[in-house]
Amino acid sequence: MNESERLIKRLPNDIGGLPGPPIARTDHPLEPWEKRCHALADVLDFRKILNTEEKRCGVEALGSEIIGHLSYYERWIVAFSNILLRKQILTPTEIALKMAAVEARWTTGT
Amino acid sequence: MANQAQGHDHDHPHELEGHNESGIPGYYDMLETAITELLIEKGLIEAQEIRRQIEVLDSRTPALGAKVVARAWVDADFRARLLANGRAACEDFGISFYDDTLLIVLENTETVHNLIVCTLCSCYPRPVLGLPPDWYKASPYRARAVSEPRKVLAEFGTIIPDNVEIRVSDSTAAVRFLVLPRRPDGTEHYTEDQLAALVTRDAMIGVIPVSIDQASVPQ
Repeated sequence: MNESERLIKRLPNDIGGLPGPPIARTDHPLEPWEKRCHALADVLDFRKILNTEEKRCGVEALGSEIIGHLSYYERWIVAFSNILLRKQILTPTEIALKMAAVEARWTTGT
Repeated sequence: MANQAQGHDHDHPHELEGHNESGIPGYYDMLETAITELLIEKGLIEAQEIRRQIEVLDSRTPALGAKVVARAWVDADFRARLLANGRAACEDFGISFYDDTLLIVLENTETVHNLIVCTLCSCYPRPVLGLPPDWYKASPYRARAVSEPRKVLAEFGTIIPDNVEIRVSDSTAAVRFLVLPRRPDGTEHYTEDQLAALVTRDAMIGVIPVSIDQASVPQ
């Protein structure tokens, strides 16, 4: 099976049964933004805006390269952004302007 | 190496996240703030909902699951109800389910050892155990638990005799699992609280048995 076949037959999340290295018993206390991100996911689920399976699919849709470079909650928040854009709940312009405004709070001291 | 599980995994250290050296939040931290504020401004969610849910998340720890296990060990009726309908029994026990998930409780016996995993992502019985550890969400555990559970268990120091069947249950968005470990021998005189103190998160995932911690043996 060549590389492109592997990419087709195994989507990024579909790793059950593959070989892998020994289990490293890793853990870390959540960063404040990670906990907010988790709470946001739950609230979006309660509000019927974005459910657990949509979230998982949204992460998988990032593709293996992005998944490989982002941490767990980084994948989540990027997936949420994409899903909210696709559902036309948010627009790219709104996110760009809000990001600039959030950044300005820290760089201009306002 | 493309078919190796680690090929898709890069759970890098987290010092790069959050605030960087200049004190400015990282990109993803700011993205979370931006998305949340936009949704609040549109009236789709409320800031207090996020705050309340953070409190709910903070209130869920493996100590809750440990109380469920201890009750099941001392109360045969509760155990039967728990195995019949995990969610209903936990709710009767006072543990609310904040998500729309079923809970199936898997009982370890002399002949069966259960292990839970989520191969596709990170589904976990959060209402009763809190958030999963990072290793549960990382690809080596997800990839290998279903194909070589005995080797995975051995890496946790758990050796399961060959005549004991190992059952691996793969969680989904809608169905979550909790392992009901075996009550250790020598705990016949323990109170329910003393039993609960023995039960760890990893035992309820199924990667280790419950054992008597010498420090906690009642006098």
